Amino acid sequence: MSSRSRDESPDLSTADQLDDEIASLRAQVESLKKELKIQTSTLMVSEPTRKLLQDRSKKRTVNSLESGPVAELLKKSDEQVAHQQQCLYRSCASITSLKIRDPDPNAVDGGNVLGLRFEVMSKARFVRPYYIMLNRPYPNSRHLRVHRHTVPPCVPLAGLAARHLPAPKPNKGGGGDAEDDEGGELQHQQDLPRFARALRRELVRYQNRIGIIGDLQKVVGSNNGQAGERDADAAIIRDISPADAEAKQISVEWSDGKAGRLIIDDDGRIIKMAVQGEHGRDRGAVRDLIGGNMRIEELLGQLEGT
Amino acid sequence: MARLSVPTTARLPSSLPVETSNNAVVKLLNRLSRPSLLSMVLDWLDPTNQSLCPPLLQHRDDDEDDDLYPLASSLEELRDIYSDMQQRKGSKREVVDRIVEGDWRNGVTLYQLAMADIQYLYDHPGSLKWTAYKIQRLKTPSSEDGAEGPQKPDKECLAIPRFHPSTFVQNLQAEVLPDVKAHYNLDRPEGLPLWLLRIFIVDSPYNTGLAVSNRTGERAATSFDASRTVYIAFPDAAPHVYLSNSQSTGATTTGESKSLRALIVEGIPKAMSRPRERYALRPAGLATRNLAELLHAKGAGRTNAAGGGWSIYAAENQWTDSPLNPVLPTPPLSDEDATEDLAGGAREKRPFSTKTTNDKYQQEAKRARLVAQARFGDSAKADDGKGIERVDVLVEDPFTVTDERRSGGGVEDVEDDNSSQQRKRAHGRRSGVDLAFERAQDGDDDDDGGNARDWKPRVRLTFHGSHVFAGIRQLVEAGIVDGERMPGWMTGEEGVTIGAVRHGRIRGHKGSGL
Repeated sequence: MSSRSRDESPDLSTADQLDDEIASLRAQVESLKKELKIQTSTLMVSEPTRKLLQDRSKKRTVNSLESGPVAELLKKSDEQVAHQQQCLYRSCASITSLKIRDPDPNAVDGGNVLGLRFEVMSKARFVRPYYIMLNRPYPNSRHLRVHRHTVPPCVPLAGLAARHLPAPKPNKGGGGDAEDDEGGELQHQQDLPRFARALRRELVRYQNRIGIIGDLQKVVGSNNGQAGERDADAAIIRDISPADAEAKQISVEWSDGKAGRLIIDDDGRIIKMAVQGEHGRDRGAVRDLIGGNMRIEELLGQLEGT
Repeated sequence: MARLSVPTTARLPSSLPVETSNNAVVKLLNRLSRPSLLSMVLDWLDPTNQSLCPPLLQHRDDDEDDDLYPLASSLEELRDIYSDMQQRKGSKREVVDRIVEGDWRNGVTLYQLAMADIQYLYDHPGSLKWTAYKIQRLKTPSSEDGAEGPQKPDKECLAIPRFHPSTFVQNLQAEVLPDVKAHYNLDRPEGLPLWLLRIFIVDSPYNTGLAVSNRTGERAATSFDASRTVYIAFPDAAPHVYLSNSQSTGATTTGESKSLRALIVEGIPKAMSRPRERYALRPAGLATRNLAELLHAKGAGRTNAAGGGWSIYAAENQWTDSPLNPVLPTPPLSDEDATEDLAGGAREKRPFSTKTTNDKYQQEAKRARLVAQARFGDSAKADDGKGIERVDVLVEDPFTVTDERRSGGGVEDVEDDNSSQQRKRAHGRRSGVDLAFERAQDGDDDDDGGNARDWKPRVRLTFHGSHVFAGIRQLVEAGIVDGERMPGWMTGEEGVTIGAVRHGRIRGHKGSGL
């Protein structure tokens, strides 16, 4: 940084200005292109356009067999309509399925893969969907197995899969485990809808926990920004961060060196909190922070108030 | 140095000084480059570090003017001296000599040595080989008898193991045997989301200066020279542990370092476990020198079980995949197109004729690129810094000789499901290296007892290079490897560096990361 400020001279600054201008123009071009795409897609699916295209393509087919630009446009329009319908399903249903082909030539079941797409919202937008790819690797059985997935390791996918998508019994008619058969029948039933629901629940809860910790961090950051103006005596919270993989434990640091740990459950209910101050446990700080709040979201209002 | 040395089970304190006459100290310091050595020394001179690495300062009453390195009277003065050295050019030797014979002539502390060692690791990220282990929850035995037997993994558990650095170190210390002393140093590398724990082990019952002293007469065997260093990396928010191979300063046998590693592999799960909550480590089949790749394949993100071509589903900022985006996802490789393209391609007859026109050649090249993109996605780029340097694969499939393939006609599936049912397991001789293979084989032996006609040679493939999968990708792009018939494990999508291939797929893992 220092070397750069040293190099700054009037000549360079005009060059910089030009660079900036070029960059901003490029950005403008990009945004215009993007807008053009959006407008095109809107136009393509609008009813009058489609009607026009359909009419003209009918005329064409009567006249000649060649597929001109009209047919191409119609094809694109159809694709666009299909895409919009898919988007509608995706945004409303939050779990959608898709068919995937495994590119591996040795893939099981001819490379047929069932994909599940989980849409999760966070901070008023859809985050990148999570995918689960299931295949059928078991011979003589239609049981599914998780093949690939994009679920982060802090969501207990393996446990959920073991509960709801158990593998079929290894060898049928084995004399040894005859007594297991009674309970076994039930245990080896797979329940894909239940699996999907449970997994979605975990994903949403995880995303919510991450989101609320992010919000708390933002409030704490802005509080810290204003702290200079206020009296420095009062200890304020300096930092809040998730302390474990699942974002169920939150570490809180005060400006006077106190450190605390806040534990919440899956749904964001506060379970307990401990604060370690200079002279052992500081129960006052816990009371001040938590008060009568039951949920982690309620802390947000409290922190904003102080 | 404490006057009494009593055998204890405590750990070695960070402030324990090691004599600079020790070869290991000079060796450790000499490994570093001059700039990193100087920046490290300036770190030592930071006022907050004074309890751990105090330099020798001159007191007013004593004056030794004939000294080669006159002692400085204050920290500031020393800091100025080293800052000056930073400004001007010079040799590394000058700095090391000044440290060893001048300002820290009474000895550098274990903390300083740990810093030097870690600094070397940061300067040379490929200097250690890491092996990934998965932390697995074990079933809590329901009865007294169950506690004695072999422990079973709890597959239905929904809890994710949690790592708390200081508690972990405390618990690990409890697992260390009393005739071994260890020094722990936790560090957080810049730019990598993980905790690095350096364990420095000395064979000594004492935790005082005696443990690291050279002058213990006939007990020299317990000296500093027989020390070993092991790193454990704990990635953030991931149920994995990466363990480095152990380094020793003196001459140790490989058996010794292996047993040390086994000791630590035993100790880690015990240190992580709590009452009614047991964990075990399971090898993840991934060993590499590249921490970035480990974090990619066994880290906290979405990429763990979506390698190779599947990475397009995990890529974070590649294409906007929001359902509120009305714009059609653009080809070439949005999800449907990629696989459709490939499915169509697999049945397409590949032209083998030699008189390819230029146009045809270009088409081929473009097609090869597309296929590579479909098989590898955005992974395995030569410059992504996620290179694996060695991949071992044991092929267990029988050697299929089909006439169609001989004649070089169309592209055939290498095998179909019926014939693969009749494969029998190879009962060949197992070498010691193949322990991991054997483990993979134990995973699923569902179709033993088969056809003696099948000729099953024991084929072991080893890929070497700076970035193995990027190399395979380049071969596919160049058309040397047929991207459509290439088995899936060649794309690196399984996230393993050692594995046995059965029916064209890596066994046991199946890539799901479950």
